[in-house]
Amino acid sequence: MNPVQSPQNRTSQRLLRKRSAINAIAMTLSCAAALFGLVFLGWILWTTISKGLVGIDWALFTQSTPPPQESGGLANAFFGSAIMCGLAILMGAPLGIAAGTWLSEYAGARRIGMVVRFVNDILLSAPSIVLGLFVYTLVVAQMGTGFSAIAGAISLAFIVIPVIVRTTDEMLRLVPAQMREAALSLGVPQWKVIVQVLYRGASAGIVTGILLALARISGETAPLLFTSFGNQYWSTDLASPMASVPVVMNQFTASPYESWHTLAWAGALVLTFFVLVLSLLARAILSRNKVRHD
Amino acid sequence: MTELAFSMNAPVVAHSPRAVAANATAKMSARRLNFHYDRFHAIKDVSLDIAANRVTALIGPSGCGKSTLLRTFNRIYSIYPKQVASGELLLDGENILHPKYSLNQLRSKVGMVFQKPVPFPMTIFENVAYAIRHYEKLSKAEMNVRVEQALNQAALWDEVKDKLKQSALGLSGGQQQRLCIARAVALKPDVLLLDEPTSALDPIATSRIEQLIAELAGDFTIAIVTHNMQQAARCSDFTAFMYLGELVEFGPTEKLFTQPGKKQTEDYITGRFG
Amino acid sequence: MTSIAVTHTRLVTQARRDASADRKFRTLVVLAAFIVLVSLIGVAFSMLWGGREVLSEQGLGFFFSTEWNPVENRYGALVPIFGTLVTSVIALMIAVPVSFGIAVYLTEVAPVWLRTPVGSAIELLAGIPSIIYGMWGLFVLVPMMTAYVTPWLNDHLGALPFIGELFQGPPIGIGLLTAGFVLSIMVIPFISSVMREVFLTVPVRLKESAYALGATRWEVVWNIVLPYTRSAVIGGVFLGLGRALGETMAVAYVVGNTVRFSASLLEPGTTIAALIANDFAEATDSYRSALLLLGFVLFVVTFFILAIARLMLLRLSRREGVR
Repeated sequence: MNPVQSPQNRTSQRLLRKRSAINAIAMTLSCAAALFGLVFLGWILWTTISKGLVGIDWALFTQSTPPPQESGGLANAFFGSAIMCGLAILMGAPLGIAAGTWLSEYAGARRIGMVVRFVNDILLSAPSIVLGLFVYTLVVAQMGTGFSAIAGAISLAFIVIPVIVRTTDEMLRLVPAQMREAALSLGVPQWKVIVQVLYRGASAGIVTGILLALARISGETAPLLFTSFGNQYWSTDLASPMASVPVVMNQFTASPYESWHTLAWAGALVLTFFVLVLSLLARAILSRNKVRHD
Repeated sequence: MTELAFSMNAPVVAHSPRAVAANATAKMSARRLNFHYDRFHAIKDVSLDIAANRVTALIGPSGCGKSTLLRTFNRIYSIYPKQVASGELLLDGENILHPKYSLNQLRSKVGMVFQKPVPFPMTIFENVAYAIRHYEKLSKAEMNVRVEQALNQAALWDEVKDKLKQSALGLSGGQQQRLCIARAVALKPDVLLLDEPTSALDPIATSRIEQLIAELAGDFTIAIVTHNMQQAARCSDFTAFMYLGELVEFGPTEKLFTQPGKKQTEDYITGRFG
Repeated sequence: MTSIAVTHTRLVTQARRDASADRKFRTLVVLAAFIVLVSLIGVAFSMLWGGREVLSEQGLGFFFSTEWNPVENRYGALVPIFGTLVTSVIALMIAVPVSFGIAVYLTEVAPVWLRTPVGSAIELLAGIPSIIYGMWGLFVLVPMMTAYVTPWLNDHLGALPFIGELFQGPPIGIGLLTAGFVLSIMVIPFISSVMREVFLTVPVRLKESAYALGATRWEVVWNIVLPYTRSAVIGGVFLGLGRALGETMAVAYVVGNTVRFSASLLEPGTTIAALIANDFAEATDSYRSALLLLGFVLFVVTFFILAIARLMLLRLSRREGVR
């Protein structure tokens, strides 16, 4: 080291020390933030697993929801959830794919397309309880059916639609324009090109959208509270109230009974597991497809 | 030679690449053709004839409108808003720019192969059979024959005959491009448009395609856009030189390359600009 | 020659058939898109329609009254609106800095091999149903708040001037603060995923040239990454805010469900979504009307918040598109 340092050199060294100190503090804070977030998210996951495992047994899947203090399972709720989610996908997916197709293939960059895309994005993150209220006034109150499984399925379909519209639109737009040109230049009509060539090119993405939509609605509670309501018993009647896993979890969580709490956590664990598997599956499909396309 | 049926309206002449056939008739004719991308005037008052059963090359520096001109021949541009062609463009005497002219019908008569090979996400067989299936009800055996025929015409049969059921995405770039040609010729179109078909390929695949163009020229009317002047000289009968949206010079390839009539053409083909 | 004529007629009929099929398909997809557009208007209108009874009886006073008395049919929206805003603000005050930290960590600090797995894990957690956050809040967080946090806040912050009042309250564990905290944990995965994604859009050459000039990591984040992505970061925050405002199940168990104004964050309160979720199914007609009108308020507020979010996010992607 040079014993005689110029004043500028010393200032710049002091500045450097200050800058790296700030950097060190900021980076530590950033690590702390990441740790904080991960600890809490891990904690929630751990709670779900540890409390949920207690209630996992054969009866959970074979018996219906019990009265307080008695043993039972969630079979009717699993069945109801499956029926309503399935119906919601059956109603929402074709509509969503069609609307997404219009956005990508017909509207393109036109202003009306931008408006619909914007509206769809808003619906995508609109509070789900509001969609429940909408379906309540539209179906439950207006059509005089009362609480019913079909009303629950419709409210879930309104959550499905924007998710699928968005993924379909995005995935179709990822299909190279040359593919459209090549197919159309064979004299094949546009609808056939869309259905047979473009959907095939975007199939992985569209399937992913459906899986993500399913993951999203399987845990939705708020829109079902006043559409499908709930049912203590096994029911296959679409026109009457039907049990669902999240609504049962809601009812049991709010109750003072220990046995109901256990069932609620068991439901939470199954639900979490289902959602995680679906999301992982969706990712796997998408990434495998990406590799193949390049 | 079943393909002869397509060229009924043109006198059938044995194809010899370099021959400047005075008796060639026009398959397509542009009359005062103009093209706009929104406000940009891309083609200005172009008139030219595409001779039946010959190869016509469109050359010129990039941005000169040669690809745009080719894209008006099957109106593929019309899938984009704000792209408009005006004037007349005749196919066998009918104006294809007329709004009543069916696009699908036009495109079944005028096939196109693009710069980048784009196989459909299906098997090799399905890629070729796809469009045929839309136009003709064929039995399985008839379809097999047609697909084999098309793949043969595109000089691809020997390489893929054992993997027809595999995805077309697994083929090499040159093979994919020949598959695209097979896909286009399978429909037995009258005209084949090639938009820089070799610019994404290596030299060996390129020479393969050029050879193929020469073979196909007997059966189809071909228009090819290329930025490669040697390619135009090697495989076309007529050449059109375009610059800034205008047709500068058009004539038999040999004449255009040996005694160009215009200074701009000479500058371009001698490499002084472009 | 006849074969050509036949072929020609066949082509023409086929062309006509194709064109009509094309038109039908187009009508179909236009209708679908129309349904998307109409459902948004339908959602807003149906709730306004359902709330017309209360709106005509109480007029605009509904939005400014703190009284909530279903027995006498007097409804005021101010308390649930207040609760909704307070819990969301608390949630953002915690979630935004933490999410920013996570996003910085995942794009600049963490070893490269760790970035994708941790990023994916956080994205996966964003998919966990919100009711589970609520259950965790009720069964795990509330006892902890009761035992440790509330007494500590009472002792240490409750005596401070001005802000002290916010932290005085009974040690019952439920209340606006707990609800806000659960919300914050729930929106962290959302906001941090958006931030991470937009940070990744910053061109590497921009960052590399800053590093080449001797900038520290923090300087690169603060002077290059953040200015470049500012609008999208704000968009992500607003997206999280929209989520927090309308969230139901994560707060329903821990907010207290009491429609009473209180200055303390430790007192039970309520939010619009929690109030609707708890009372709607068993409500009388006029009470339902009031809850539907509340739903309308919630929808309008989230609509504007989400609209701002989308516009902000669009701004970055548009710039991306230009280059």
